[in-house]
Amino acid sequence: MTAIESFDNIYLDLSKESGKSRFAENGFGWKPAGGGEAYTLDSGEIGGAQWSRAARGYEVKILLRSSGVVQLDGFHQEDYERLNKIFKNWYSVNLENKEHSLRGWNWGKAEFSKAELTFNVQNRPAFEIPYAEISNTNLAGRNEIAVEFAGSDSGKSNGHGATPGKGKKALAGKDMLCEVRFYIPGTTTRKEAEGGEA
Amino acid sequence: DENGVEVKKFKRFESYKRDNQFPPKVKEMGIVIDQKNATIVLPVMGRPVPFHINTIKNASKSDEGEWSYLRINFLSPGQGVGRKDEQPFEDASAHFVRSLTFKSTDGDRYADIANQISNLKRDAVKKEQEKKDMED
Repeated sequence: MTAIESFDNIYLDLSKESGKSRFAENGFGWKPAGGGEAYTLDSGEIGGAQWSRAARGYEVKILLRSSGVVQLDGFHQEDYERLNKIFKNWYSVNLENKEHSLRGWNWGKAEFSKAELTFNVQNRPAFEIPYAEISNTNLAGRNEIAVEFAGSDSGKSNGHGATPGKGKKALAGKDMLCEVRFYIPGTTTRKEAEGGEA
Repeated sequence: DENGVEVKKFKRFESYKRDNQFPPKVKEMGIVIDQKNATIVLPVMGRPVPFHINTIKNASKSDEGEWSYLRINFLSPGQGVGRKDEQPFEDASAHFVRSLTFKSTDGDRYADIANQISNLKRDAVKKEQEKKDMED
């Protein structure tokens, strides 16, 4: 018998429908409650994991070795110990507790990690944007960067399959995120500032 | 002071201390106006992200075919608004979120949210002014 740990009412990559998520030594699987295509992930692809507060409940974010992220939302606070053991014993990674900033400030530091752009406020993440969700970026003005999101032209719900909701997370809620603009000061040299074009 | 050279100290403000203070409605992954805490909670990639009303410049709604757009503009340096000594942020050399734009087919909802944000902003500015008048 293979040991399996399962959790109900879990949302995969901001899916509209919840499902059952099951962890085993050889990997992870998620199946929508109403039936449909399952998503599976081999344990060898799990490169890291983070625990934090999300919209539906608590989130486990799996960082893939291939640089993507898988988001599982809907856990309860008291699931942490169980999940920490699962990740440590079966996948040899720590379930890192990532407390997010709740200050409500719009200034901080935009930082680029392997799979995501993180906006940190006082050294705590306020939000993250997985690169896979970005459809376009441009310099909207001097020191101003516009980040646009995929599928801004259609309102289709998340798909579940081999690549669940990739490039569709911005569209998951009733308020779909189209664009984020950042102001990054001091990125132009004096020379550019004097004679350059924005 | 009387010479007008006093540099106003940035007053720290905070939306929440703990994540259990979020309004329960954040579960729906939509924009939530939290009057009580003078905060707008915006959904970014599945995470509720609080923005205190003091960081917000304005909110505007626009329409394009069946879609309505809500753009929330934040205060940041280089916008040429307000006096230098009254910048509502601590560190002008930081990176800033300057705007977030959402879309929905429910235009009435966005008109309502834009309206609520304007009212909340107006009330916050009024409160701040009253405080200043008291200090003078």
